[in-house]
Amino acid sequence: MNKKFLSSLAIASALTLAACSGGGTSDAGGSDGGSTEASGPRALLVWVDTVREPACLSYQESVAGEIDVTCEVVGQEEILPKIQLSNTAGQGWPDVVFSPPNSAAIYAEAANGYALNLDDYVDSAVIDAYNTSNDWCLVDGSYYCLKNDLAQTVLWYDTVIFEELGLTVPTTMDEFAATAMQLEGTDYVAGAVGDQGFYAGYLWPSGCPMADVQDPTTVRINSSASECTRVFDLMQPLLDAGVVDSRSAFDAGFIADVAQQQKVAMHIGPSWWGEFVIRPADSWAIPEGRIAAAEMPKWDGESTAWSGEWGGGIWVVSSHAANLQDAADAGVYLATDPDMREDKVTFPGYQPAFEKWAARLGQDTYYASDPTVAMVAQASRIRQDNNPVRFDMRGQIGVLQTEIGNGATLKDATETFMASLVELAPGVGYTVVD
Amino acid sequence: MFKHRAQLMSRINGFLMFFPYLLLLVMFAVVPIVLAASVSLEESLTNPGGGFGNYLFVLQDFRFLPALINVLLFLLIYLPTMLIVVAGLSLMLDSIKARHSVPLRLAYLVPAGITGSVAILVWYFMLEPTYSPFAPLFAEFGWTQGTDIFNSSNLIYIFALMTFFTGAGNWIVIQYGSLQSIPDELLEAARIDGANSLQVAFRIKLPLIRKYLVYMLVLVMAAGLQIFVEPYLLSSSVYPGIAKDWSLNQLSYTLAFLGSNLGAATALSLMLLVVMLGLALIVIFRTDFFDEAKTKIKES
Amino acid sequence: MTLTEAKKVTVRKKKINAKALPAKTLAWVVMVAFALFSVIPMTWLVLAPSKTQVGLQVDPPMSFGTFQGYIDAWNNLMLFQDGRLVTWLWNSIWYTSIQVLVACLIAILGGYALAATRMPFRKSMLITTLVAMIVPQVAFVLPLFVEITTLGLYDTAWAIILPGTFFPFGVFLSYIYFSTTIPHDLYEAARIDGSGDWGVFFRIALPLSKGLIGMLAFFSFQVNWINFFLPYVVVNSGEVLTLPVGLGILFSSTPALNPQVGANVLPIRGPEIALAGLLIAIPILLIFLASSRLLVRGVLAGSVKS
Repeated sequence: MNKKFLSSLAIASALTLAACSGGGTSDAGGSDGGSTEASGPRALLVWVDTVREPACLSYQESVAGEIDVTCEVVGQEEILPKIQLSNTAGQGWPDVVFSPPNSAAIYAEAANGYALNLDDYVDSAVIDAYNTSNDWCLVDGSYYCLKNDLAQTVLWYDTVIFEELGLTVPTTMDEFAATAMQLEGTDYVAGAVGDQGFYAGYLWPSGCPMADVQDPTTVRINSSASECTRVFDLMQPLLDAGVVDSRSAFDAGFIADVAQQQKVAMHIGPSWWGEFVIRPADSWAIPEGRIAAAEMPKWDGESTAWSGEWGGGIWVVSSHAANLQDAADAGVYLATDPDMREDKVTFPGYQPAFEKWAARLGQDTYYASDPTVAMVAQASRIRQDNNPVRFDMRGQIGVLQTEIGNGATLKDATETFMASLVELAPGVGYTVVD
Repeated sequence: MFKHRAQLMSRINGFLMFFPYLLLLVMFAVVPIVLAASVSLEESLTNPGGGFGNYLFVLQDFRFLPALINVLLFLLIYLPTMLIVVAGLSLMLDSIKARHSVPLRLAYLVPAGITGSVAILVWYFMLEPTYSPFAPLFAEFGWTQGTDIFNSSNLIYIFALMTFFTGAGNWIVIQYGSLQSIPDELLEAARIDGANSLQVAFRIKLPLIRKYLVYMLVLVMAAGLQIFVEPYLLSSSVYPGIAKDWSLNQLSYTLAFLGSNLGAATALSLMLLVVMLGLALIVIFRTDFFDEAKTKIKES
Repeated sequence: MTLTEAKKVTVRKKKINAKALPAKTLAWVVMVAFALFSVIPMTWLVLAPSKTQVGLQVDPPMSFGTFQGYIDAWNNLMLFQDGRLVTWLWNSIWYTSIQVLVACLIAILGGYALAATRMPFRKSMLITTLVAMIVPQVAFVLPLFVEITTLGLYDTAWAIILPGTFFPFGVFLSYIYFSTTIPHDLYEAARIDGSGDWGVFFRIALPLSKGLIGMLAFFSFQVNWINFFLPYVVVNSGEVLTLPVGLGILFSSTPALNPQVGANVLPIRGPEIALAGLLIAIPILLIFLASSRLLVRGVLAGSVKS
């Protein structure tokens, strides 16, 4: 009785002692809220996604002995909420984070305060070498992040299918639609739109005003604009005819039944599509020598063949880092180091890194022709009237793609999507205009 | 005088024994509510001037009503199913010999571990036609693609299925246990009177466990109103965006951490909490469920 | 009538009743069908790590792959952040252990105080406990987040552990237990002998409460082991998180359920993630099966007499 109680007490104490000395509460890498400049060992905490983890690990190796770098894998969906969590708690920020690009304005906002103004910490030569590729990160005249890559959309196509069916590569969107309709009745498709590709490859290049920031308190969102309606009018018939798939390009069914059967004739997708989606054996697994990339088809009446972006992540440096220069340097390495970027799947925005990457890809016999030619052309054609906003754009894009995947018409899905943007904008201080 | 001193000591000792729990009650039930209330009334962009602006903001948010409807429809499917299946199966179990029911009872307890993140994992594979053991059955209904099953209009049924699957089994066993407390004489008397099994089940047993079933429904409803994990995980990983802000708790999370509006988030949380408290008070004061428990205090 | 005569009556009545046969068969069919429905998904989960990703799609779902499959799946899981899974598992174990120990101890003391002492405000404390019992912890998560950050506990193990020690249902159960199972006379007898409340507690109540402790540990374990929402919100660092939240991280960071993440980067697919899920589900399963008699004996009966 008493003995039993005492022995349970003993066990409890033993467990507690073991727990306190065991794993679990060790310092996760060194960034405290608002602490003074590091007088102890230099440490950095970096949050990355799975794809960027190797880059972080190579940085860790390159500064081993000087700086203790911890690479933590965090899902991209969770970056924004976790930063907000840290803001509320006043601690726990990562020193450098790889984030989806839509959040750039949110971090830069004074009320949020997470992003470091890089003007004083990053060499202007680095910024210059980006040319215009880092402009997404320009908020109120200062740079608050570094673009990891440009994800400009291009027209990927399968040269073998085109030859077999006698198709020519479209240069305008009308031609694109016509070429797609030629696939009717065959098993071939001209892409899948039930994912972010619809937003990035169709709505954005067309200039549909979804997040057209006029000034810090005004944003233009208008789903009845002709730049939006022309997308529905062009694409809906293709969807109805079945020559464009309503599923996501990542959908298990789509991959198994269509992509891996080599039935995708063409697909408007970002610059990383080839290396990340088309090529890998676990994904579409298209054989060598077939795939090429062409410039984006032009919308009627436009003088430029615009692109949108699907992705193009950003590296954000924390303004709460214990050692700001260390954190900024890490950010620069991760975003730009040419050797480290050479074998990665994404198109570097930083010129020297890009040159190495393009050289590798150009020599790669996998592609039927050098895909970087079209990519370079499109790199400076990313349409500028879609900007980072202070509300959660990315979450709503998820809703858009779900609606399309569920079979809603493109018009309905987009109107619902943009109606929700109109609802969200005032909560963060925007006035919505047409 | 000895009796008075003993009583006083009992009061003090009782308080000391109860104190650790009281401390936790204050720390983890009372204080959070007070803090949350104060945060919800703070001045912010959506609540200029402070006060109840955040509550209004939440009620008028374009996602609030859809989320409320989702949760209510979910409960509308989930609760009756639970009631019918749990009552029915526990009565059936009780109608057979106890030792025959042991393997069945053990089987019903098996799903208890499949909840939260594990539920999403298992049910993704159970419902995705490419992986599912039920694929032939799905094909009969014309469901061959993942999106045939995983789409917005099916979410209510999917989440009801997940929550039902985890909870039904152990409630069946618990209600079976309640049925064991029915005195044998009562059942014997009914049988002697000529009642068959079905009549015994519906006329005698069911009314006697009515209280327990109601209690189960209240607990299950309270938990159901708060559903978060399953829709959140489904929407953030497997089918991005499919169930964004589908439930009220998800909206609260979004407001707090995707919209950096902690004031509105706590306002929503507190509104939900008030509903919970209302439910609890109704059960305690308006039903006779806890009467014996309460009167025991009066007696001693 | 005597006991033997009563037994004879019962035996006679249990002869096969032909009229009831169809109903009984139907009942058996329904019960067995539900049992299958209950068991199939868990069986799938147990078998899944033994297959390969391709095997999951191609082989029959209830087939067994190889034992090597489990080892391969484990090794692949270890590739994620250098064995982070082990940290999560260990965290889950020791957080839950502390929670169960502390929660049960405090609940037993609290319930006993309500049942057998003259502590002040017993009625209102009971009502408060009843209310707290019905409201799930999930309802408190955002307010708890506000409090935890105010207290400076954010991102620590204690942010997860401490709220889990608040166990109103445990207090209620032990209150019922101590006021029904232990006869009032026993308390009186001990008091007359000169024992104070603490003496009665240690010498009479506690030794008789094995069944109660079992039930308390069971419920406390179940609720704390699978908890997701609170740990997810109050802890940011991967190293401090528990297994259920870790599984969620694997969902969004590996290609197993979300091919957009990186189909060619990490070899973590269906089998691996099923193994991680198994680590969460198995302890609950084992504890439920071991406690099945406790559950049947009547959790609710005794609290509310019929």
